[in-house]
Amino acid sequence: MTSVRPGDALPDYRVGPVSAEKMKTMSALMRDANPIHFDVAAVRALGLGDRVINQGPLNQAYVVSLLGRWAGGAHRVRELRLRHLGAVHAGDRLRAHGTVLDVSEQDGELLVRCEVGLDVLGGDPVLSGTATVHVGG
Amino acid sequence: MTPAVPDEAKLDELVGTEFPGGEFTFERWWVRLVNECALADPADEAGSPVFVFLAATSAMGVSWERLWSWFGARESDGPMAGEIHTVLHRPLRVGGTYAVRGRIESARRKRGARTGVFDLVGYRLDLHETSGELAASCTSSILFPRERR
Repeated sequence: MTSVRPGDALPDYRVGPVSAEKMKTMSALMRDANPIHFDVAAVRALGLGDRVINQGPLNQAYVVSLLGRWAGGAHRVRELRLRHLGAVHAGDRLRAHGTVLDVSEQDGELLVRCEVGLDVLGGDPVLSGTATVHVGG
Repeated sequence: MTPAVPDEAKLDELVGTEFPGGEFTFERWWVRLVNECALADPADEAGSPVFVFLAATSAMGVSWERLWSWFGARESDGPMAGEIHTVLHRPLRVGGTYAVRGRIESARRKRGARTGVFDLVGYRLDLHETSGELAASCTSSILFPRERR
């Protein structure tokens, strides 16, 4: 891991098809009453399509998994800045991806800053941003 | 009753509004189920930055509807997530209890090519250890579309 260089690509993390049942459970865990996550009729009424829409934190979690699988655990992600660009619907297949921007040392720790993103396969970007990850021992 | 949309002076006044706050405990069963929903490695436990937002918003002391109402909006007005910036100063622990405190950091009226007129509101929520030390922070933004009202 100490040979990390700017421009290195992280191994892609593929997700999907995204599960409507997991969204429903997540709504309960978050006590999130917004029906777009569990009621197709509500999604249709709002003109947002005909499939329920994934929670933002789940989308973010896929990017964290990309980083954690590469760096050795989600706890190694020290900072994460993400911009919401689009929605993920039930049944979508996704690709989380990242590229190393720079490597630095702080208090004896090797920190890698990455550009990261989440896209719907064959569709639009969902998230884009940057992350700082601790790598090595 | 429809809440009144704040004018720009009122938006300025809302900056600095503090959340009532509260406490959040990372119960093992809850962390496990969240990780299952997120398809995350169970070994990650509460280590993901995503848990900062989940804990902070669960214990911010107001419901989402109440937060929307501060800015003259309802769920049906379609408030949208903008950005989220999370910083972890120390790992979050399963079984750990954290105090949540936060405030409205910014509120500005803007015009976008696609969105039209909207209000961009930034809020910050912090998780503190029981010792008082800062464990993690998340700063998020919400877009409130205005032209439809």
